[in-house]
Amino acid sequence: MSSSRITSFQGSRNFRLLIVLATLSGKPIKIEKIRSDDLNPGLRDHEVSFLRLMEAVTNGSSIEISYTGTTIIYKPGIITGGSYTHNCPPSKPVGYYVEPMLYLAPFSKNKFSIIFRGVTASHNDAGVEAIKWGLLPVMEKFGVRECALHTLKRGSPPLGGGEVHLVVDSLIAQPVTMHALDTPQIASIRGVAYSTRVSPSMVNRMIEGARNVLRGLSCEVDITADVWRGENSGKSPGWGITLVAESKKGWRYFAENIGGAGDVPEDIGTQVAYELLEEISESAVVGRTQLPLAIVYMVIGKEDIGRLRITKSQVDERFIWLLRHIKKMFGTEVFLKPVDEPESDDIIVTIKGIGFTNTNKKTA
Amino acid sequence: MDQSNKEHRKKSEKATAKKKLHTQGHNAKAFAVAAPGRMARNMMRSSDVNERKLHVPMVDRTPEDDPPPVIVTVVGPPGTGKTTLIKSLVRRMTKSTLSEVNGPITVVSGKRRRLTFIECPADDLNSMIDIAKVADLVLLMIDGNFGFEMETMEFLNLAQHHGMPRVLGVATHLDLFKSQSTLRATKKRLKHRFWTEVYQGAKLFYLSGVINGRYPDREILNLSRFISVMKFRPLKWRNEHPYLLADRITDITHPELLETQGKQIDRKVAIYGYLHGTPLPSTAGARVHLAGVGDYSISHVEKLPDPCPTPYFQQKLDEYERERVKEQGAGTTGAPRRRKRLDDRQKLIYAPMSDVGGVLMDKDAVFIDVGGKKPGDGPSFVPGQEKGEGERLVTSLQSVEKSISENFDGVGLQLFSNGQELHEADSDGENSVSEDEGDSNKDGGRKSLRKPKIYGKSIQEEDEEIDNLESDEEMEAGASDDDRPRQRRLVEVDFDAGNDASVNAHTDSEFELSDHEEELWNRSTASKLQGSKIRPRKWDIGKLIYMENIEPFDCIKRWKGELEDENEESGEQSEEEDFFKQADKPENKNTEAEDDLEKFKPHFETFKKLAAKWSSFDSLKGRFAGRPNLEQSSADNDEDDEELYGDFEDLENGDQEAASEQDSHSSNEDGDDGSDGAGSDNSFADFEKEEKKDLTTDQERERNAAKKESLRLQFEMEEGDNFKEDDPENEFDTWYELQKAKMAKQQEINNAELESMTPEQRQKIEGFKAGSYVRIVFDALPMEFVENFDARYPIIMGGLLPTELKFGILKARMRRHRWHKKILKTNDPLVLSLGWRRFQTLPIYTTTDSRTRNRMLKYTPEHSYCFASFYGPLCSPNTTFCGVQVVANSDTTGNFRISATGIIEEIDASVEIVKKLKLVGYPYKIFRNTAFIKDMFSSAMEVARFEGAQIKTVSGIRGEIKRALSKPEGHFRATFEDKILLSDIIILRSWYPVHIKKFYNPVTSLLLKNKSEWKGLRLTGQIRASQGLETPTNADSAYKKVERVERRFNGLKVPSSVQKTLPFKSQIHQMKPQKKKTYMAKRAVVLGGEEKKARSFMQKVFTISNAKDEKKKAKKQDERKERLKKLAKIEETKTEKEKERKKKFFSEHGKKRQFDSSADGASSKKRR
Repeated sequence: MSSSRITSFQGSRNFRLLIVLATLSGKPIKIEKIRSDDLNPGLRDHEVSFLRLMEAVTNGSSIEISYTGTTIIYKPGIITGGSYTHNCPPSKPVGYYVEPMLYLAPFSKNKFSIIFRGVTASHNDAGVEAIKWGLLPVMEKFGVRECALHTLKRGSPPLGGGEVHLVVDSLIAQPVTMHALDTPQIASIRGVAYSTRVSPSMVNRMIEGARNVLRGLSCEVDITADVWRGENSGKSPGWGITLVAESKKGWRYFAENIGGAGDVPEDIGTQVAYELLEEISESAVVGRTQLPLAIVYMVIGKEDIGRLRITKSQVDERFIWLLRHIKKMFGTEVFLKPVDEPESDDIIVTIKGIGFTNTNKKTA
Repeated sequence: MDQSNKEHRKKSEKATAKKKLHTQGHNAKAFAVAAPGRMARNMMRSSDVNERKLHVPMVDRTPEDDPPPVIVTVVGPPGTGKTTLIKSLVRRMTKSTLSEVNGPITVVSGKRRRLTFIECPADDLNSMIDIAKVADLVLLMIDGNFGFEMETMEFLNLAQHHGMPRVLGVATHLDLFKSQSTLRATKKRLKHRFWTEVYQGAKLFYLSGVINGRYPDREILNLSRFISVMKFRPLKWRNEHPYLLADRITDITHPELLETQGKQIDRKVAIYGYLHGTPLPSTAGARVHLAGVGDYSISHVEKLPDPCPTPYFQQKLDEYERERVKEQGAGTTGAPRRRKRLDDRQKLIYAPMSDVGGVLMDKDAVFIDVGGKKPGDGPSFVPGQEKGEGERLVTSLQSVEKSISENFDGVGLQLFSNGQELHEADSDGENSVSEDEGDSNKDGGRKSLRKPKIYGKSIQEEDEEIDNLESDEEMEAGASDDDRPRQRRLVEVDFDAGNDASVNAHTDSEFELSDHEEELWNRSTASKLQGSKIRPRKWDIGKLIYMENIEPFDCIKRWKGELEDENEESGEQSEEEDFFKQADKPENKNTEAEDDLEKFKPHFETFKKLAAKWSSFDSLKGRFAGRPNLEQSSADNDEDDEELYGDFEDLENGDQEAASEQDSHSSNEDGDDGSDGAGSDNSFADFEKEEKKDLTTDQERERNAAKKESLRLQFEMEEGDNFKEDDPENEFDTWYELQKAKMAKQQEINNAELESMTPEQRQKIEGFKAGSYVRIVFDALPMEFVENFDARYPIIMGGLLPTELKFGILKARMRRHRWHKKILKTNDPLVLSLGWRRFQTLPIYTTTDSRTRNRMLKYTPEHSYCFASFYGPLCSPNTTFCGVQVVANSDTTGNFRISATGIIEEIDASVEIVKKLKLVGYPYKIFRNTAFIKDMFSSAMEVARFEGAQIKTVSGIRGEIKRALSKPEGHFRATFEDKILLSDIIILRSWYPVHIKKFYNPVTSLLLKNKSEWKGLRLTGQIRASQGLETPTNADSAYKKVERVERRFNGLKVPSSVQKTLPFKSQIHQMKPQKKKTYMAKRAVVLGGEEKKARSFMQKVFTISNAKDEKKKAKKQDERKERLKKLAKIEETKTEKEKERKKKFFSEHGKKRQFDSSADGASSKKRR
């Protein structure tokens, strides 16, 4: 009976998103051909670790992984949350695991309080600051007021040794219906440049580099230096910078990067500053990295129509894949229409929520 | 000369308003409140009334224009006049007379309102449950002579726990009261009892006798007027789910399949009806629940033209039509005048299951409506008795043996069948026809003596009441009486039933794609022929996104029109190949592809490119709120990093725009916000100042007004400022108003957005909205559903939310219904009606021990809530439910059947329930505080499991299990806080987990031939009773008389050696035995002589007297017993007689009886 109702996907694309969407919609999924053509086929250790984390925060979910690891069947259970400590393998930073938790945490039975141990920064995955300053404000916009990410220890790659604590205290029935039709005005640019186990001068040089680029802007630029020493600074040396442009209404855009071997701190600072400008120019209300979260929250909203403004360049392959997967899981299609303003070729994304409610939560 | 003046007229003492103020001895105006007490009371009352009006604000998902028909259900015990009421109401509203009521009947009752009448089968609890879930308005029929009966009470309780629809009581059979005072008394009693059940002041209608098979016109008019103006509040469950009350069903299984594979195969069934509740998602495969059948996937939904449109809707259509005509040519068609009242032709009725029907043609069948004919003409379309050419044609059509196609080639389907088995296998339409014929002869009334289960005592007493419902207003809708009952006959001509099998195989997007492909292909071939260049075509991104067979990369390219011309053809070709290969390409080798969300960081250009691009911030000009302090010159963006501090204000407007445009072009159309920002006039103070310079105040005002207007048109509820919710100075007095306003605004937004879409898009986004008449096809329904179909029983389809598809453990707060006779036992099967479903499950009743654990209860507590955990389909918390033990009529005793009511508290995949387990052991060796305990465990392993566990003696001495003893297996050493006795009993209190049995048995009553005889899992007691088994008893569980042996304690003996050493204070003082005889002992009194004789004589006398007394007493007691027996006998005969008399009376005078004793037609006469 149930086998016919399994939605199946192919490939490792959007792996975490698929698992998250399956958990939210309650539909079992099957993902086949995960890196079946790869020399090292099947699930990677971070993906397995992520599945283990999913098992910990849900009750009654079942995960079947094939012998080769190229096929998994995931039957979601009930999001229970609670306190848990997750040890992340060093191949991916904690951001990789924290990010999908943000989709689930507000809709769980108990409050989320999860400690992630491992690497806290990397080149391609979400850093701690990016989540804290970039993604949590988006959740706040959707009504998740009490969520926080505390950095207890920083751990730079490759050895890590960091520790972050995700606390989501708001358990909401469903996200607020969004109506964001205007591109917000940026009021200020803030940022954090941090370092672990290296000289504090690196931090200042990064700040300098970023400042040089942003000097010409019309808003205040405030980048703090955050130097970690001793016990709490993990096992490896490292440094990085996160820049956030924030609007008065609480929307944020951000860019981040970390330094690798042979990188010049000023260059990293400059590059991140440029990337921030690029991100601002490419996004309307939310940045490209925030877009999936916003879209998913809009899809699982009330049975009302929500609207979000995006730019033309935000309609990229990632966006299309996201929408296709949402369609497959929830059956919801988005409606895109150009904005009314003649000078702009922005697009309004119109989504009717599926009438999701947090059924996991206990009454009274 | 004397001056003569007019006599002075004294001012008349008039009680002016001013005087009146002072009548009390003081100026009333001087005191603000004349009657403070009364004012306080008034204020209290008015605020009470206002508060009572408030309800939790809820969005009403029913569409404003063209809402679905209101479902009016007529519920009541058998013989209360349900069918008669429906007939009367239908006649009132549509002027057509039904000879039989079968299935839902939809009629137009007002300009914008339609009603669906449905009769709830009186003898089926399942139907009552289902009906309670969908009814908008319940007409609760009460036999005035009998009062409230069990069914009525049961239904009210069911309705209450499924969201309480509006309830109108209708008391009938009031003409049978001989005396006016009895009637009044009965009315009053009924009304007050009704009020306690529904709410104070609930409306109860009184219908007197039946005239011409209908209730009196005046009374029906009043009732229908009441119904037509009734308002409905959205109910939570129905506001969250789509649902449908099936108008009719059709079996559209391919006849050949039935021929070849037999009748047992699953059927393809189409269900028709109006959608209610939230929109039904338009995606294929949506799961729904068919009440009484099970969960099924919709294979195909289709919106059909409304068979019973409202006049308002028709008018809109007409207007639309007229507009079009006007546009096409000079519209000279005079617009027809709007009417205040419903036109006769607008009074539509649609009742495909009953014998009335309009002309209906749809995919599966054609219903030929053969119009109104005069009553008394006898049946038409009877083969052999045709009345005209037309009828003969139709009847001959009905009896055609072979279809045309069969006539030609002999293969294919049998279309127009009169063969026996095809009649059954075929659609219900035909069945209903044949049923009609069968039923038309007999009257719908009861046939046997009715044994009503009376709630309380029956009403045969008197008191008085008047509730005058007569009023002289005329109903809006047509008051003119057309007394010509139109009788309609329905003849179904079955067309090719399986022809739509192939239609729904494609999804829309594929269709579109194939269109596009075709077009492209055409164009490319055309261009080949012409040798001309192809104009890049415009793609709609909204469609491109969901074309699964186009790679997202291509989507973007096509959308942006970047597909190069030269390789377009080759691209097309490869695409066509792709189309057949269905994108089976191996995945991108790169595990962290750019388009994968697994990679968090989005794509950025290289450092150099970025640096080049962001040497100036022009394209971001509009994005920053602050005043630009250091503006970079935009003119020289060809130079890289040079920062020229040009003054922005000096720049010319046009120049700047051109520059920014240039900029955006050069940066590959990425930063297109720049031009937007520069063009909009909101951010740049300097820019505005620039413009303001050459504006007069008038122009400025104009501009401001325009700006304001544009802002107003924009929806106010933008992000952040939710109606200034946090601002105490906002325009809303109360939180309630604020919420209302918010909802209204959101609704407005919804409507505006949906209206801006094309119909197809709208359907995709919104789904099939409530009020649309749809045909829903299910691929594989059990054949019993079709074979055992009975139009009397409602078919209800309810949509399921994702949570409701999952199974798990539900924890509910539950209470045995206080009218149910027995308490409920854990793990006894209970049929729950939760959500749309009815299912049998095995609940475990629990209580919480100060929130530390869930302890199992064997039985539900008598008068309080307990928790119940059971396995079943999940459901969102806060859903209320009812439980019944039996649904089968044959198992029903006369008692109240609803055994439990409750509300879901929590859902989970598992639950921890424990029950208390006490292990008992006995000490066999006692040291000081240590003792060896036996008989608690049977092995050392078990002991090891409980090492360190707390134990206790019965007397309350606490202890701990220490270690298993090696020798006698299962014995252990324990220590206690004090020395225990050998006679003590040691108790270990532990908790044993209880597992919930995963039993879920949906009540599939609609699949049965006899719908009201569904029997599920029986109770253990029922099984034992049917098998004639004794209940096994554990000898240990039996209560025996406790025999306690008197314990003797030996006296305390202190050895003399010890005693010697004791201090004086602790010395045991013992008196020496007395040696001397006491004074009394020394003297012995000896009785003798006369006295002794006298004493013995007296004793004898007393003995005799006592014996006499005893005898007397015994005799008296016997006599008394005898007398009591006699009295009891007399009493018994008396009651017997009384009973006999009552029975006789009722059998002679009881109103229900007349139904049966008299013939059909005579009954109405008798009642006059």
